[in-house]
Amino acid sequence: MTDQNEDPKFEQWLKDVARTTYHAPRPTPRDEMWARIEAGRRHKHVIELRPWMRWAVGVAAVLALGIGIGRWTVRQQPGGTRTVTPLAAVNDSSRDLAYQVAATQYLSRTEALLTSFRADPRPDARDAARFAAQARDLLSTTQLMLDSPAGDDPRMRALLEDLELVLVQISQLGAKGEVQEADLIRQGMNQSNVLPKLRSAIPAGPVPARTQGVL
Amino acid sequence: MDESQLIARVRAGDSAAQRALYDAHVDRVYRLAFRLAGDDALAQDFTQETFIRAFDRLGSFRGDAAFSTWLHTITTTVVLNGLRKVKRLRQRETDIDDAQAIGVMKRESEPDLKMRLTKAIDELPEGYRTVFVMHDVEGYTHEEIGAALGVETGTSKAQLSRARAKLRVVLADFAGEWT
Repeated sequence: MTDQNEDPKFEQWLKDVARTTYHAPRPTPRDEMWARIEAGRRHKHVIELRPWMRWAVGVAAVLALGIGIGRWTVRQQPGGTRTVTPLAAVNDSSRDLAYQVAATQYLSRTEALLTSFRADPRPDARDAARFAAQARDLLSTTQLMLDSPAGDDPRMRALLEDLELVLVQISQLGAKGEVQEADLIRQGMNQSNVLPKLRSAIPAGPVPARTQGVL
Repeated sequence: MDESQLIARVRAGDSAAQRALYDAHVDRVYRLAFRLAGDDALAQDFTQETFIRAFDRLGSFRGDAAFSTWLHTITTTVVLNGLRKVKRLRQRETDIDDAQAIGVMKRESEPDLKMRLTKAIDELPEGYRTVFVMHDVEGYTHEEIGAALGVETGTSKAQLSRARAKLRVVLADFAGEWT
């Protein structure tokens, strides 16, 4: 069928020229890519939680927080009798309250991380690792928040998505600190105005004061 | 340690074995990704995605074929799908640029052999180009190509032949180089 078109001399010439000139690759950047693969797999495991698993984790977190708040509230009753509210008696409004407390604490922690990160233009290896670890921790909460009722509010959703992006970037900061990488993240933060938006989403006052009213 | 033992250790969660398996295959994956993408950043992205998928799906690798064959099936899928997305995005940008450049177009000067060859290969239909790059540039056998692309060996041979024929026509100006 195609034999009549074959020309061994042309084919050999073509192979030789194409091998040396056609998109000739540079040496494989093994370590660089391996670092990204490891980071990608870590992140992917968080992202690929099934929706029902995320909800289960979210509900468990809210319930645990609710129990904690309940116990804390009982301890605060002056001279009162210690009573334990049954779990089933936790009504919708107290669940909403618990949710608000959790959301406020999460936003405050994220604000603290981003403020420290932005204020440290040349993080050394230890600081970069600390920032990355904190970002990973907050990232999983961000993803839970996106799947929670907070994600239904368009403004909050936009903020959470901005935060997710910044936290992913910080969580992938290498152990060497990579000043240039950190600068790019900072530029992105400035362009998206993520910190001012974050601050405006947090109720005024220090963290304990923010939660006093609801407790 | 042979490859099946290495794979068993990766499945058991041994991170050193993961790195060893990666080291054994990354050169070929990256080279193919680079040749097809023509861009280092894209090649790195595709290589990264290939290994992430391979490690995540290693449980489904039954060992009926060589691990390299299975891995190159993932590589070609990742690269070709990725390039289709990039092409769509670039096409949109080109449409905008073309619209802005109307009236200022000029005839390009005659490119040299390297440029002509690169352009000619880039403009081959996707199937021809993939087979040509895998066989003539990266040295894969038709059996490996058939397995990776999910086509018959005969199809691979036919596509290579057509690719060469097209290139011969486009590069006719350089006939003195091979005759």
